[in-house]
Amino acid sequence: MFTSKNDLFDRYLHAVRFWLPKAQQQDILAELAEDLRSQIEDREAALGHQLSDDEVAALLKQRGSPMTVASGYLPEVRLIDPAMVPLYRVVLKIVLLWVLAPLFVIVFIGPLLASPYPQRVIALACVEGFRACFTAVGIITTVFVLLRRFHLGVDKWDPRKLPRVPAAYQTSARWNHLAAFIFGALAVMFWMYFMWNRTEFAIPDGPRILLSPVWKQVNWILVVFTMLSALSDLLAALRPAQARVRSWIHLGVDACWLVMVAIWLRVDNWVTIVAPKLSARDQAALTTWKNLSIEITLASVAVVIMLDAFFEIRRLRRARLPQSAPVLTAS
Amino acid sequence: MHTNEDQSSRETSELFDNLRLELRRGCLAVAVLAQLRREHYGYALRKALADQGLTIDENTLYPLLRRLETQGLLVSQWREEEKRNKRFYHLSPVGEQVLADLLEEWRRMNSALERILVVPQTA
Repeated sequence: MFTSKNDLFDRYLHAVRFWLPKAQQQDILAELAEDLRSQIEDREAALGHQLSDDEVAALLKQRGSPMTVASGYLPEVRLIDPAMVPLYRVVLKIVLLWVLAPLFVIVFIGPLLASPYPQRVIALACVEGFRACFTAVGIITTVFVLLRRFHLGVDKWDPRKLPRVPAAYQTSARWNHLAAFIFGALAVMFWMYFMWNRTEFAIPDGPRILLSPVWKQVNWILVVFTMLSALSDLLAALRPAQARVRSWIHLGVDACWLVMVAIWLRVDNWVTIVAPKLSARDQAALTTWKNLSIEITLASVAVVIMLDAFFEIRRLRRARLPQSAPVLTAS
Repeated sequence: MHTNEDQSSRETSELFDNLRLELRRGCLAVAVLAQLRREHYGYALRKALADQGLTIDENTLYPLLRRLETQGLLVSQWREEEKRNKRFYHLSPVGEQVLADLLEEWRRMNSALERILVVPQTA
């Protein structure tokens, strides 16, 4: 393809013009053209001959792409005030990790455990998750851009209004573990007393609720898991240095709970209701509703377990960080 | 085969380039202002600076000139020379004052840095 030296030159200037602000186009291009001509003349004088197309092309290439050249003349654009970036990061973290993520777990865990097509639920959750994150990031960024636009920054602050350094984590944590142990022990006692050998609930002159054999399995598992958790809480209360062991036991129990809940959600018949005063059709409807309510309860339990696991993971991560608070105290 | 040493060397080089860029940014503005105590057009200015050992990329120089002019430190005018229109720059009265202040600041920093480099550092 034939290209003349001037053709290359004009094409380059035309391409730079496209990216320049209109008000300064002529001025900048005139100066750029003059500089390039001076450069070509100097090169020709040094080489002792006119530059070929290839040599001009190499010179233009060395100068940089039209967009790169034009970018130098454009004002530096900062969407967010650099001083606000730490706040921007914190807000993003809170919204994405502490609001959207738990919300998605709550909304999708039930359908995920109960649906015969879990892969479809996962696909839907991914699409909706991406959409929600995209929207949240967009809105937060827009708010921070507006803050910069209207000069609302973080210049006004007072050292006396900064939050106090939290202290005495250890004491409150020990009391929490002890309370969790007592609550767990009471729950085990309650369950063993009221549910262990029970096969039905009978209301005088009313319906009877017959428990299906799956409840035997539930009784064992519930008691064993609750006892394990309670004992790990007792360990952490008596030996605070073993708090990580407690967290790992809780995580293991949570994982086992989730597996069991997923299995139990596939059980069709939890109870059968026998009510002689009702028609067979009404009895069947009542039984269906009762079983459905148990399934909803199981899904809710799964959500609570996942939240517990989330907090345990966070506790483990924080335990790995060095305790800096006392070191910061000024002497 | 690329090793960790290659990657480490590349990262060090990248770090040096970034710091060098930061170090040069302020110095270039001072050098341009100082050189424009005498009138120059863009290409001649670049050559004059290069002759004195300070190379400056065209894509850095021209936007810098424009910015300094917008800030009132330089004045410019288009004039014909050797049958071609060229834009000549020179220091404005405000630019002269700012250049004097900048040079004073630069000398202070330079002497402080010299003192830091001379005094042996204890571990």
